[in-house]
Amino acid sequence: MIDALAQLTVNGIALGAAYALAALGFVLVINAVGAVNFAHGDFVMAGGFLAVAISGYLPADLELPGLVVLPLTMLVAAGLGLLLSLIAYFPLRGRPPVSVFISTIAVAIILQHGTNAIFGPAPRAAPPVFGDGQVDLGIASVSMQQVAVIVVAAVLIGAVALVLSRTRFGRRLRAAAQDPEMAEAIGIDVPLMIAVTFALAISLAGATGALLANQFFVSPDDGGNYMLKAYIAVVIGGWGRIHGAVLGALLIGMFEVVVAAAASYVVAEALLYGALLAVLVLRPQGLFGEAEGRRA
Amino acid sequence: MRLALAILGSALLAAWGVGFAGPYEQQVLTIAGINALAVLGYQLVFGRLGALSLAQGIFFAVGAYATGLLATRWGLSFPVTFLVSILAPMLVALVVSIPVLRLGSHYFALATLGIAQLGTLVAVNWEDVTGGANGIYGVPEIAAFGQTVPVGSAMLVLVWGLVVFGVILFGLLTQGARGARLATLERSPLAAGAIGIDAGRTRLTLFLIGAGFAGAAGALQAHAVGVVSPAVARFDVMVAILAMAVIGGRGSALGAVLGAVLLTHLPEWFRAFESYYLIAYGVAVLATVILLPSGLAGLIRRTPARPPTRPPNWVATGPLAKSQTGFARPAGLARRPPATLTVAGAGKRFGGLIALEGVDLHISPGRIIGLIGPNGSGKTTLLNLISGLERADTGRVRLDAVDISGLPANHIARLGVARCFQHPDLPGELTAFEAVLAATPGDASAVDRAADSAADRAIGCLRELGIDMLASRRVSDLAAAEQRRLEIARALATQPRVLLLDEPAAGLGENERVDLARQLRQLAEGGLGILVVEHTMDFLLPLADRVVCLVAGRRVAEGEAAEVVRDPAAISAYFGEAPA
Repeated sequence: MIDALAQLTVNGIALGAAYALAALGFVLVINAVGAVNFAHGDFVMAGGFLAVAISGYLPADLELPGLVVLPLTMLVAAGLGLLLSLIAYFPLRGRPPVSVFISTIAVAIILQHGTNAIFGPAPRAAPPVFGDGQVDLGIASVSMQQVAVIVVAAVLIGAVALVLSRTRFGRRLRAAAQDPEMAEAIGIDVPLMIAVTFALAISLAGATGALLANQFFVSPDDGGNYMLKAYIAVVIGGWGRIHGAVLGALLIGMFEVVVAAAASYVVAEALLYGALLAVLVLRPQGLFGEAEGRRA
Repeated sequence: MRLALAILGSALLAAWGVGFAGPYEQQVLTIAGINALAVLGYQLVFGRLGALSLAQGIFFAVGAYATGLLATRWGLSFPVTFLVSILAPMLVALVVSIPVLRLGSHYFALATLGIAQLGTLVAVNWEDVTGGANGIYGVPEIAAFGQTVPVGSAMLVLVWGLVVFGVILFGLLTQGARGARLATLERSPLAAGAIGIDAGRTRLTLFLIGAGFAGAAGALQAHAVGVVSPAVARFDVMVAILAMAVIGGRGSALGAVLGAVLLTHLPEWFRAFESYYLIAYGVAVLATVILLPSGLAGLIRRTPARPPTRPPNWVATGPLAKSQTGFARPAGLARRPPATLTVAGAGKRFGGLIALEGVDLHISPGRIIGLIGPNGSGKTTLLNLISGLERADTGRVRLDAVDISGLPANHIARLGVARCFQHPDLPGELTAFEAVLAATPGDASAVDRAADSAADRAIGCLRELGIDMLASRRVSDLAAAEQRRLEIARALATQPRVLLLDEPAAGLGENERVDLARQLRQLAEGGLGILVVEHTMDFLLPLADRVVCLVAGRRVAEGEAAEVVRDPAAISAYFGEAPA
């Protein structure tokens, strides 16, 4: 019993850590431009396929190909994020937020069906980061990839938090997000900060995809699911709160693993959406937030 | 104009389909008409309310499954299955509307998406009822009253006939004063409340009707293809509806028809590219959002509601503006009896900040009360408390004997408290006439409906502010001073019993101020009590019968204008300390 619970906890944390990485990128864009990037989940999916594609170009005898694949995936994803901001955000600056919602839905469609056209509909697997195998912890057994997901997510989330809070660049990024006009007035290049935020956010999405595509495989129509998980994490964590989004994502991962084990995956999904509606109605400020003015 | 085009286009398309198209093209056109119905409903919610619902696809699925189940399992006839297919999604919409409709934009989108996901899970997993992944086979062709409607020309005519019906219904819901109210609600929700528009009821009505449209479309689709597969519950359906609405033109019936016909044919035209056409879908939506924000229908300008061409008879008797004495308003302009507004002990805190404390205020008919005080002294908060935008912590607000404290803003507005905002809050794409038309009482509760039509009343209000010559100009093209007057004209259209103005002279030139002061004085002489928040003393002091001075949320002085400006407390509030 204890063993089973410990195992579920480990699985839940690993899944939640990956969701947290996705939710972090999602909330960064929300804060920077006040708009929802509906294509975020499709960039997670694209990250998975990028990892698959990149690993195909690597020499077959390379040890731990995942260690090479992950940074390369993030780099390409960052480029895609820049592209996203150029085609789906900047032309619509100053228009109502719903325009960006729609433009990113369009990007999501293009990504999903573009990937389908290139790779086909079949699920694919990316190489593991630290290799295959299991680590036996006594009461639970952890796969090397789960360790990798938790470690990579912790490192990346920690790094983003450090950059945002401790560096001059991070302060500029936050200033541009909080009050673009004031930031502009004191000489911050706000469009540049927004572009960098998109690059960073999509790079994190790409990392999420590369990490998840090993254990869970990846197929072109997975995007919507990841987008929803990130979206829900941000809602239950409190709209626009970075820490809240990460906590919310961990909670969702845990919830999904536990309920799926107790009942089924379908029940877990249904309950998650039910819980989402309940949070929206009862605690629109999120589970962890103080009651304050609504931002959405 | 665009509505007429939509109806004409639908009729021509159907006629062409019957006369010249082969069976396959007839089927494609039928599906296009079905999509047009679903998109028409979506235009009400997404286009007119500006609410990004992502549940329209699942409402479509509910309609399709309802028809599939009732027709195959129980063999019910078309009139019954069709009615149930329309009502079932409306019922779902009604249930979810309770938590969902009051949510803000992103939350509304997510909540409706959550509902859609739940619906998809049910469709795929509740196999006993929905047939799971297999769906429901053998949905019969439409048959009612001894007639069958086989797929082909007959079905095509039926579907496009319903499209025409749908366009007419859409027009009834969105033209004239109704359309102006919807535009006001979408663009300036606060102002909508202040002119008495019941946002909750409007949203609910359109959300339900939109769901009904989707249900009807789903039902027709089940008959047209004979199968209900779980694909109807996939998010792709929602994406297609959204794409059709955006590309065709958001908020327009013509856009719904154009978008549906175009995007239903897209896969046919790009057949050679197999599944790549879905990429083209995405590219087309993206390009439209960026390059053509109003969609294809936006290429044809919207026809604004026309002001009455023949001036109402009272205009000849001489406009109010010329009268210098007494009660001389135009005979035709109905007005409610003025009322006394009393605020007693109003208090409001924001966290630790005391915005108002124990404020009393009395606005009698025919009097102009000036409300002055330094920035942050609580003037606008007091206006918000009276007009219901914020709820007081303590104190009561009465209109004559009726306690209006804590009522919703739109309710207070309909009882007769009208207000204007510090920054005119007007929907830019409407004409001045339409902006005022939106405020004319439209339902049976309106007072004295017989005296003049809503359009006459709207023109009359523009005339009272001396801007009737601007009636056909777009609000966004008006100068700031003109917008201020327009907002006051709009407030008058609600037939107010008390009028609250927040810095009406700000940004006006000297002559404009003189004009405005004269117009306000005349309104007061007509019996209306007016509260004017103002910083411009040379405008306010000669105008106001009494002046109230607020400092840090408390009333520090009250009296005749000449007294208050000499009051040490008021002076020290403005100048730091009393001059020696």
